[in-house]
Amino acid sequence: MQQRTVTLTNKLGLHARPAAAFVQKANQFQAAISVRAGQKEANAKSILSILALGARQGDTITIVADGPDEERALAELCAFLAAGCGEGN
Amino acid sequence: MVGIVIVSHSAEVAEGTKKLAQQMTPPELPLAAAGGTRDGRLGTDATLIQEAIQSVAGPDGVVVLADLGSAVLSTEMALELLPAEVRERVVLADAPLVEGAVAAAVESSLGKSLVEVKAAAEAARNLSKVS
Repeated sequence: MQQRTVTLTNKLGLHARPAAAFVQKANQFQAAISVRAGQKEANAKSILSILALGARQGDTITIVADGPDEERALAELCAFLAAGCGEGN
Repeated sequence: MVGIVIVSHSAEVAEGTKKLAQQMTPPELPLAAAGGTRDGRLGTDATLIQEAIQSVAGPDGVVVLADLGSAVLSTEMALELLPAEVRERVVLADAPLVEGAVAAAVESSLGKSLVEVKAAAEAARNLSKVS
């Protein structure tokens, strides 16, 4: 199991289209992936779980991955968040 | 991909929910709205629902989400109007309309099965929005 902490920089945070894009990305990996924000924890592969997390711009979240491709999952998901979830901001 | 049909008493609710789900999914996802009656009133129409189902029906099947009471009855009538080979791959999800449609659409965009898409929609019942 590995984890990495990142700060959300895109305008919307993990909402709407960015949330869906994040979940679609997370589903490309075999590892079990969760996202922690404050006291809450969400399943990164479930859109409703991510939406319920309510992570906004400026929030710090921790992504936890556990499985054979955990390292690649963390690297790619963090890069995806850093790039603004494909939203270009 | 599993097709999604959104049934509401209001054409605007059905269309708006469809747009919301579309915003979060690839454009090729088969999504259809069946809201209101043919003459533009509030209500549901089994034949409109039947047409919506057929417009998105493919080998992976269709999940239908409906709003209140008689929307479910009209959907059940619509199922009876469908050819048997289409009907056997159509399921009605017991789920909240907006959250269920978003969850089902995203799940379908991931290439999940009919059973998994229906389950994702139904899991929306347990979503807690206020912490």
